[in-house]
Amino acid sequence: MTKDADNRSAAPPISGGAIPEASNIARAPSRPATDRVYERSAHDLHAAAGLIALSVLLDSAVEHYRGSYHNKAMFTPLVTATITLTATAHGLRAPAGLGHAGRRGIFVLAVATGAVGTGFHVYDILAKPGGISWQNLFYAAPLGAPSALIVSGLAGFLAEHIRATPPDESARVFGHSVSRSAALGSALALVGTSAEAALLHFRGAFQNPAMFFPVTLPPVAAGLLGFAGLRPAVGAYPVTQACLTATAAIGLAGTGFHAYGVARAMGGWRNWHQNLLDGPPIPTPPSFAALALAGRAALRLLAHDASRAGHTPARAVPP
Amino acid sequence: MRCHADTDTVDFVIVGTGAGGGTLAARLAEQGFSVVALDAGPFFRPLLDFASDETAQNQLFWTDKRVSSGTNPIKMGGNNSGKAVGGSTVHFAMVSLRFRPEWFKSRSILGYGADWPLDWAEMWHYYSMAEQALAIAGPIHYPWGPKRPRYPYRAHELNAAAKLLARGCEALGYRWSETPLATVSAPRGKSPPCVYRGFCRFGCSTNAKQSALTVWIPRALKAGAEIRDLAMAGRIDVDHQGCATGVHYVREGQWRFQNARNVIVCGYAIETPRLLLNSETACFPDGLANSSGLVGRYLMTQANQAAWGRMEDEVRWYKGPPSLALTEHWNYEDRGKDFFGGYCWMGQGPLPIEWVSVQTSARGLWGPALRTEMMDYNHQIGVKMVGEMLPNEDNRVTLDDDTDQYGLPIPRITYEWSENDKRLINHALNQMTMSLAAIGATRIFPQDDDTNHLAGTARMGFNRETSVVNSDCRSWDIPNLWICDGSVFPTTGGVNPALTIQALALRTADRIKHLAARREL
Repeated sequence: MTKDADNRSAAPPISGGAIPEASNIARAPSRPATDRVYERSAHDLHAAAGLIALSVLLDSAVEHYRGSYHNKAMFTPLVTATITLTATAHGLRAPAGLGHAGRRGIFVLAVATGAVGTGFHVYDILAKPGGISWQNLFYAAPLGAPSALIVSGLAGFLAEHIRATPPDESARVFGHSVSRSAALGSALALVGTSAEAALLHFRGAFQNPAMFFPVTLPPVAAGLLGFAGLRPAVGAYPVTQACLTATAAIGLAGTGFHAYGVARAMGGWRNWHQNLLDGPPIPTPPSFAALALAGRAALRLLAHDASRAGHTPARAVPP
Repeated sequence: MRCHADTDTVDFVIVGTGAGGGTLAARLAEQGFSVVALDAGPFFRPLLDFASDETAQNQLFWTDKRVSSGTNPIKMGGNNSGKAVGGSTVHFAMVSLRFRPEWFKSRSILGYGADWPLDWAEMWHYYSMAEQALAIAGPIHYPWGPKRPRYPYRAHELNAAAKLLARGCEALGYRWSETPLATVSAPRGKSPPCVYRGFCRFGCSTNAKQSALTVWIPRALKAGAEIRDLAMAGRIDVDHQGCATGVHYVREGQWRFQNARNVIVCGYAIETPRLLLNSETACFPDGLANSSGLVGRYLMTQANQAAWGRMEDEVRWYKGPPSLALTEHWNYEDRGKDFFGGYCWMGQGPLPIEWVSVQTSARGLWGPALRTEMMDYNHQIGVKMVGEMLPNEDNRVTLDDDTDQYGLPIPRITYEWSENDKRLINHALNQMTMSLAAIGATRIFPQDDDTNHLAGTARMGFNRETSVVNSDCRSWDIPNLWICDGSVFPTTGGVNPALTIQALALRTADRIKHLAARREL
């Protein structure tokens, strides 16, 4: 590991990103190129995991405060999300190898917390009159929210895996290629997040046409990403990448829209201490941006797979 | 606001701006008619004028002098009247239910009351229009009656009182539902979403409530109607040909006269017959539109009895709109009844002063006993019915010799429950008590004396001998005199009437447009 780190620091900087220059076409990518792709992908997955953890931290803090922390277990996501956030920050900055096992354990803990949290939320829904009904899906503990911790943990876990993979080996997780796992995982998470937005925006009667954005574009991006993950890898994914960029933009704009939603509640921002609780959740839309980041990392890995296989040189694929 | 001089002959002068008059003012103005709508009450600005104070908000109710008599005199006030632009929708509980289709033909199909000269399927269309206009927040699937389009807004979150109603219904094996309510669950125009303040029946100070004041009146103003507040109508003038020529009204202490081609009376079941009876002339010695002698007759109210109890856990029933959940089981189930008609029951959340009055009237508590009982306010639970009372010719509104602050003869209201009404109430009290017992409520007691919404007194029908207006709400006797409010109901059904009145007003506006196009106005 230390040797890898040394290699990295010794590698000459490559201009123009991780993709080989035109002159390198038909030649297998060099070790530094692989190195660089892995590093950037791990970086982005760490960043995605961190952003989602931050979203979970802020959202569960507000929502569970709204629920008066009447069950002590409601503090759990705050603690886990904080630890996960710290781990991703550490992973982004620490030299490879340092603290790897510890971070990996934390990401596994995040996945486990998300799974247990989902169990709690399902129980909350089932315990209410009407059981699985629109009323309870709208207003009881939100079914999809805890799984954000699962997604954060998985993204962090993949990042750790990639960083731990020597450049001359294909990064694999549980026997599957990391690139495909990242693509399919991100696609699935995007669909799930979109489904949750659909449920809650339906609760809000889609009263503002902008509420349709997060339920239309991200599923398209997820479909393309999932398709890319299932097909043989190619050198570039310009359309998928554009859709993911747009998804990220929607995620960031969503924060603004939700802030406007708070302003439309009785008393607006002057009454922030009530309307932040009852208005649209401000911390949640950036999850789309985080998942788009993870998706872009997956595309980068897929493109790298293709170029390493030598079948489809990266720059030779028409846009 | 576009204003008219009294000397202008406007197309329509509308008396009353509630569920009937407010809706008509908007729709007729939108169709291009010139409209002046009079209301005896003030034009409130909820954000400025409404206090979080039960006593202060009595300003919304019609508490003018009236005589209430008979074996079961009706208590007049907050439950059944309003004196404000927007009428009683300013303080209604926002419950927006459709009639059961069979009720439009309850005489022919169910064997009681009277048939309406209207087809339920046509009313279904106007119900949908009203629900869209009011952005009703309702369940995705309503468990009773024929299919209806999706409510424009989603149902509100249930409060603890509503959840307990649901548990009670589940224990008895009855279906329950979120109540379709006229208060938004998400922003709409200038209305922020409901903040669950719980003062709905004393005026919504956030404007989340979709009342005539916040929905129809702004539309009417935008379309060029004039809303004249603090204008009490006293008399409708009729010319020698037997046509209405306008309305005498008092405003700022002065009697004035508004000329009009058509007069629409929307004063509800007490003030509508009172105005018609007060407008008698040599040609119409018994009052206007009264050749059948039925103006003022067939007054109906709805049974509003309740069962109350105490839960071990805190309920805090005052949070949110009071009637968030309901069951219409006994509106749609005809088996196992020893009475005609139907009823529903809803969750309750009386505010403290209202709760004191229940404790003093229904249980006769006073002094330390009352104080001790009130300490349990946050643990109380209750369900309240809206029950159909049958039309009876002798339940009526007449004029008394006494006069009010305007110098107008006041109404005398005479009411007696029929044996059928009593059987319905007993059945409901039994059922509601069982539902509370089933969820472990203790110290359950019935409140057996309350009534709410009114109807009748200018019933619509198939001919001039047996009714006051036809299916278009047009009086049989005077072709340019219309009546459009709850007073035209031949039967009252077991649901709150506001949505039906608005659907009826939407239909009437369409019929007027149609008749005007054929030059039959």
